[in-house]
Amino acid sequence: MHDPRDASTGSRLKGLLRPLAVVVAAGLVAAACGGSSRDSADKTTKTTASGGSTDTAAPIIDAANCPPNVTTGVDGDTIKLGTSLPQSGLYSAFSEILRGEEAYFKYLNEELGGVDVAGTKYKIELVNKDDEYLADKTVANVNSLINDDKVFALFDVVGTKNNLAIRDMVNEQCIPNLFAGTGSPAWGNADYPFLIGSELVPYPLEMKAFFDYLQENKPEATVAILSASDDFGRSYVDTFKSLVEGSKITVVKEETYNPEQFDTKSQITSLAATKADALIIGATLLACPDAMKNVDAAGWKPIIYMSGTCTSKSLMSMAAPAGDGVLSVGPLMDPANPMYADEPAMKLYKEKIAQYEPPEVDPTNGIVSYGWTTAALMAEVLHRSPALDRVSVMETARTLSGVKDIGTMLAGQVLDVSADDWFLGEMFNLVQYATADGYFSAVGSMHDESGKTESMTPPDLING
Amino acid sequence: MPTDGARRALVIKAAVAAAAVAVLCWIPQQYGLTQTNLYAEALVLSVAAMGLNLLTGYNGQVSIGHGAFFGIGAYTSGILMLDHGWPFLATLPVAAVLAAAVGAAVGFPALRVKGLYLALITLGLATLFPALVSKFVKSTGGTSLVQLYKVRPKPPTWASSFAGAEDQWRYYITLVVAGALFVLMLNLVRGRFGRAIVAVREHEAAAETLGINLARVKISAFAISAMYAGVAGSLAALVRLQANAGQIEVFQQSIIFLVAVVIGGTATTLGPVVGGFVVVLLQDRTTELIKDKPTLSPALFGIALILLMYVLPDGLVGGFGRMVTRIRRRMFAGSASDSDTT
Repeated sequence: MHDPRDASTGSRLKGLLRPLAVVVAAGLVAAACGGSSRDSADKTTKTTASGGSTDTAAPIIDAANCPPNVTTGVDGDTIKLGTSLPQSGLYSAFSEILRGEEAYFKYLNEELGGVDVAGTKYKIELVNKDDEYLADKTVANVNSLINDDKVFALFDVVGTKNNLAIRDMVNEQCIPNLFAGTGSPAWGNADYPFLIGSELVPYPLEMKAFFDYLQENKPEATVAILSASDDFGRSYVDTFKSLVEGSKITVVKEETYNPEQFDTKSQITSLAATKADALIIGATLLACPDAMKNVDAAGWKPIIYMSGTCTSKSLMSMAAPAGDGVLSVGPLMDPANPMYADEPAMKLYKEKIAQYEPPEVDPTNGIVSYGWTTAALMAEVLHRSPALDRVSVMETARTLSGVKDIGTMLAGQVLDVSADDWFLGEMFNLVQYATADGYFSAVGSMHDESGKTESMTPPDLING
Repeated sequence: MPTDGARRALVIKAAVAAAAVAVLCWIPQQYGLTQTNLYAEALVLSVAAMGLNLLTGYNGQVSIGHGAFFGIGAYTSGILMLDHGWPFLATLPVAAVLAAAVGAAVGFPALRVKGLYLALITLGLATLFPALVSKFVKSTGGTSLVQLYKVRPKPPTWASSFAGAEDQWRYYITLVVAGALFVLMLNLVRGRFGRAIVAVREHEAAAETLGINLARVKISAFAISAMYAGVAGSLAALVRLQANAGQIEVFQQSIIFLVAVVIGGTATTLGPVVGGFVVVLLQDRTTELIKDKPTLSPALFGIALILLMYVLPDGLVGGFGRMVTRIRRRMFAGSASDSDTT
């Protein structure tokens, strides 16, 4: 409560003192605002920039509008990278990605002496910040990474909305945003050359894999679709509906759920009433096990396809036993699958996780091996870059070809991008979960959809 | 001499206010982009907390749904700027009016519903808003995120001497708007309306017998409070260069507004401002305190809040007020005994 006396005494004295106070205040304010003691180097938000490219053979990246700071973040023999991902809050399960990344960079720095870029060895330092999966925090984190930590590039920032929130900023400032941790088709938008997606399978390709599976095993299937009521969900629905045109497969019912909540009971009840042969779960995180459990409870036995974003060990154990037989995609070896246990790459990965990370980090968790592999991919891009500046590194990432045997990639898997094809994760396995085993196993041979993502994705999902 | 004392108090107040304004002005000159943005966020939270304080502190109506009004402001500014090319300042009044209108509409049930039940209604609002946004807003990449980076306001040439960088310019806009709203609030709560809403909080029947129109006061309190939250949302869109309303964000924001009000001191004019700064800075400074254990940062923030509430149950401004009173009393007692001996 304010003191009413203040007002009365104030009015009594205002004739004398208020003007004085105003003058004093104005003086102080003018002194504070006028004298700019701020270091001009801090003013990194530039409205204009001059060309600073040293790379003349750069057909994809136009560096003409980039600020002249192409080697910021390289200090002596260290390259500083920055990442932002949820480490606390509801989505903190994703923080395991960081464990895999850190283990790889420690292994690289300590045992391999760093990464060789144009004949010089550099150590990699990864600055990480927690954004709780909130886009506002991602923006603040990335601002801080660019302006305070002065990182060379951003690496594996997790989340579609989170990367959308920063892409204008990093693109204008020409900061490479390498391997955004989401399979959104939006990363094919040619207006944003400084953002590239990771080895995760683009969501539309997941639908192609499932469509092919149905064509082979149930060519007259009726399909029900549950999807998130956002762009992520639409990536599944719109692509699948365009794929089934001209085939004997029919979509009988679609339901959407609010991606901010994870409850799918009423939607599944309504979908189950159709008794469709197959169900697509275009959902993520907790909505996946929730949907599978609801399907089970409804006594419905469809062939289930579940988004590749849900293929984590913890989510599948939540769904057990309803997750038995569920199909999805796997861009990498499943570290929980004993079939890969003797692969040298898998052995190395498990050994280094045990060596460099605390014992509570579970190497059989696919999220950890995704982090490990993406870090290895980052090192590969740096190694392939002809020079250590932002434009060259981004150009290298944009023209990656013949990437194989990196991290825990599958045997025979080759990843490519080019000027016409901006999607990396176009070779992958269709996988099936067995509750009794507790891991995913490949179904059939590897899918090779290289260069096909853009043609099968509705254009507004890419350029929206 | 009471006049002397009062005059001295006023001089001190004026000096403190001038110093505070000077410090607020100086911040973007001293700090880089990250800290400037952080302090701008503190100003944003202060504005929202001022509004909530009017409703909860002065009028005694609890709302845990102010994140929705905040979101209305943010989206109004965001959509007008991005899709219709409006300059930021022109969007402010629209955001304020829209938020106030929705606030008034929500105020109607408050005429009959009180306390915890009212809190639940406002909680419903906080849950409903993100669902509406995700249904009707299709912006960046088809998501409900409105990205303003491409249409961000640039500092004008006349301001280049003190706000040459964009973040500085955004900070000063926020500061001026927040300052104006602070002065408005000061006048509101010290005037007839302020006394009326306090009277309603203390005893509705008694207030009514004094000729106070309960419905008008309560709905006005809701509307003005929502307007403040809406303007804060607009300013947040300016500072963050985006409008976003996830379920978690809206709920978290509503709680943070309450925390800022309570930490600063409910029903004090300065409380929400102090609370806004303390909450934002505390959150930021506890984030990287324990390296590699980010899950502990929210816990640290929580512990700090509990300690603060334990030591200063009436908030920072309330606690400070008590301290000043105690010192004054001691000084007065001292001078009294001095005069006795002479």
